[in-house]
Amino acid sequence: MVRNDISYLGNADRHVTVGVGDVATATYPGILTTQALGSCVGIALWDPSRQAGGMAHVMLPSSEDTRMGGKLQRFATHAVPELVAMLEAEGSSHRRLVAKIAGGAAMFKGDSMLAGIGSRNIEEVRRQLHLAGVRLRAEDTGGDFARTIELHLDTGILLVRSYQYGIREI
Amino acid sequence: MRLEDLTDMQIDALREVGSIGAGHAATALSQLVDHRIDLEVPQLEMLPIGSVPDVFGGPETLVGAVYDRMLGDLGGGLLFVAPRDSSLALVDLMRNRPVGTAKSFGAEEEATITHVASILASSYIASIARLADLNILPARPSFALDMAGAILQVVTAEIGMRAENALLLRTRFFNDETTVDAYMFFLPDPDGLDVLLGRLGVV
Repeated sequence: MVRNDISYLGNADRHVTVGVGDVATATYPGILTTQALGSCVGIALWDPSRQAGGMAHVMLPSSEDTRMGGKLQRFATHAVPELVAMLEAEGSSHRRLVAKIAGGAAMFKGDSMLAGIGSRNIEEVRRQLHLAGVRLRAEDTGGDFARTIELHLDTGILLVRSYQYGIREI
Repeated sequence: MRLEDLTDMQIDALREVGSIGAGHAATALSQLVDHRIDLEVPQLEMLPIGSVPDVFGGPETLVGAVYDRMLGDLGGGLLFVAPRDSSLALVDLMRNRPVGTAKSFGAEEEATITHVASILASSYIASIARLADLNILPARPSFALDMAGAILQVVTAEIGMRAENALLLRTRFFNDETTVDAYMFFLPDPDGLDVLLGRLGVV
């Protein structure tokens, strides 16, 4: 019988969950996580010297992409600078930060408008990280499948979970 | 206008549109497979988009989904969702076989679900178009089998309806032996909803 979920590997109480369009920071032993990234891009920032980090769940590249109001952190253009600023306020220099990103998939390939959102998100996130002076060390992006990510703040390992590949580490 | 600004009267108008659409879909599906398939008149619900994945047990729950974009006078689309096991049961129902016969999602199962969802969506769209005297056609349907949260988020990201409500039509497919519940989300863009409600004469 097929199990209809991918289980956490324990440690459920240490999880700091970042919701869709949100940002958050944490220190070890917290585990930063965000779930079900489709066309969204999850950004994980890690400061090895403080065993601290931040995570964002970005939905759209910039506020020009929608007429609707709402939280600004769901745009890459706002989430990246804000997350870096939050970490710097907590004592992490942007030069020490290491970034890993995941997501930006084309979940519905048949629909050309929806298929483009993911890759546009990836582009803009990369650009914003570059503008913020933060090194992008690894990524698991694109494809046509959803991902959940966990950032472990002692090792900087980003666990990427999907029905497609099970669990990968980057 | 946002969905949560609707009055009870307006919701009743949409409910009427939904039940007519379901009736047409039942006829079409029965003709398609040459055995009887019934559709229960859908219940109309409104719930915050953020809590939609919880209807399926959480954002990571594996669901089958078909998205039908609307073209013409109304923007947005219809999203059909059924958890993986329900989706396979629906395939069995369509094929007139005992539930449990279809064991995994192959090309044939994907095609069946896409077809059923697209007939249902087209029926709803046709009944809206006729009652509201609008020109609306469905675009080609697209299929995905993956986490509920990701699927929901992809179709609502461009509409930007993150904090808004979704209109949900619970649809029950059944025959004498089997019952399968699926969910159809009506996600018009806000401008389109103004037009629609104006035409239904209730604004």
